[in-house]
Amino acid sequence: MTNAISGLGLAPDAAMITFPIGLFLPGSDIAGIEARKQEFYDGLLHWQSSHAKSAGASRMLKVEANSYEEALQRANDLAITNLWGDGLPLWPATRERVNRMLRGTPLPRTHVIGKFPPRGGITTVETCAIALAMAGGRAEYLPVLIAAVEAFLHPETNAEQLQAASGSAFPVVVVNGPIAKQIRLNSGFGCLGPDPQRPAGASIGRALRLIQQNVGGALPGIGAMANYGGMRNVNLVFAEDEDNIPEGWPPHGTEHHGFARETNSVSVFFCNGATNARRRGAKKETPEEDATQGMYRLAEFMRVPNYTNLSGYEQGTPGAILIPGVVANNMAKLGWTKPKMREFFYQHSRIPQSEIKRNGGTAWIEIDASPITRESLKLDPWPITSKPENFIVLVCGGGHPTNSFWLQGYSPRVIGKEIRVPETFEQLLTQADRDLGCGDDVCRI
Amino acid sequence: MIELEFHDPAGALEVTQPHAPRLTTLAGKKIGFVSNEQWQAFRTLPLIKSLFEKDFPDVQMLPIDAFPQGNALIGEEKTAMMVKDAGVDAVIIGNAA
Repeated sequence: MTNAISGLGLAPDAAMITFPIGLFLPGSDIAGIEARKQEFYDGLLHWQSSHAKSAGASRMLKVEANSYEEALQRANDLAITNLWGDGLPLWPATRERVNRMLRGTPLPRTHVIGKFPPRGGITTVETCAIALAMAGGRAEYLPVLIAAVEAFLHPETNAEQLQAASGSAFPVVVVNGPIAKQIRLNSGFGCLGPDPQRPAGASIGRALRLIQQNVGGALPGIGAMANYGGMRNVNLVFAEDEDNIPEGWPPHGTEHHGFARETNSVSVFFCNGATNARRRGAKKETPEEDATQGMYRLAEFMRVPNYTNLSGYEQGTPGAILIPGVVANNMAKLGWTKPKMREFFYQHSRIPQSEIKRNGGTAWIEIDASPITRESLKLDPWPITSKPENFIVLVCGGGHPTNSFWLQGYSPRVIGKEIRVPETFEQLLTQADRDLGCGDDVCRI
Repeated sequence: MIELEFHDPAGALEVTQPHAPRLTTLAGKKIGFVSNEQWQAFRTLPLIKSLFEKDFPDVQMLPIDAFPQGNALIGEEKTAMMVKDAGVDAVIIGNAA
């Protein structure tokens, strides 16, 4: 609550009367309210903010120790005591390290991207560089992080709610364009997780999470009521496998956001689940049977009452299905396209109204703010999203046909942003080759 | 001695508007409710209203539904204008969880 208030430009406290969660549940005993009635009266009569007019500008901190190792430990301890840590070792954001990160952007360090909700911390290019430095990132990752933060703070993402709500939303950042390979961002085997061969995704995602927590105030159980908070250590930052997108299938950035091919871009949406879905058949299927049965299995995997995502029903996404390139190419040979797949998912992930009624979904749909969502109650079976175009189909993952992956949406919008790199970007890539070894596939073990 | 100096990562905050001034008394005041209709608000807010009315007989408590209710509506500018136009001296907002 205090986060939400400071996010509105008020001092970060308020006249609040708080009770244990039990009082707010059906059938609860609410007599405790009367016992504390004086607090309500005092809230209107006597409460005063304990905060000064301004919380002040960002500052420098210092630790002293007998050795560098001890100083590093103290800096990490300080991060934890100030609630800036995530349980993993952090690089202190020294001036030198932050200045090194800032070489990755043509923007001035003081450029304000926005206020990060719900706390409302002012988010500048320097703020991003500080988080990336702490997360173990590199300068060439900064353009992607800045574009991701710009998308995150877009007014239509409803980020102030997603950051604080109990539904455990996490951001997904999909990168298109040549920058993905240039900075060693994974689009193949294990693209959703950390990869020492392609380490960019983990660092960028961790930096984004640190900004969400430290600048946005999304502290578990205090500023963010996400019950489980999945995928938080590194969020999800990966690239579409553009080398293996079938001919005639546009990359996601082009198809969904209208960017020209080869444009470096991010697409940011939010999810609350990420799970494997068995796609390949097990016996003697023909190619056509393998494709069709796999599509049915995926569609039926999506057919769940994800009412958490009703805010994304009209213009957001029910989720993203990840298809490996080898499968996408086989399906393309059989006449499948991304639009045809989306239409299939739309039709075959519908839920009978009898089930919606039985599980109480009717009430959730009835109270939704969107008339289109409320009107959807007339459709039987009920489509899990308002239109086929809302499904995201991405070509990525390793060259193996058995499994796909479903990222279950919790996303009022899907926002695209172009990535801007400095004129000296090539120098950063050359430096990365010197620091990390050759980044091309031919150099790998 | 090693010194390690580094940036505070939390970012600055900007306080752009003060909280509403507190009332000097509840006597004769008009108090409204803005409800998200969640978390048993249909029981808790009427109880709070009745407590005010019992302890301060000359306070004017507006009906719980005097203003638009529900998460989708209570944050809208239109709702804020309705509250302002109603001439209330104070507003109680509930329930968050």
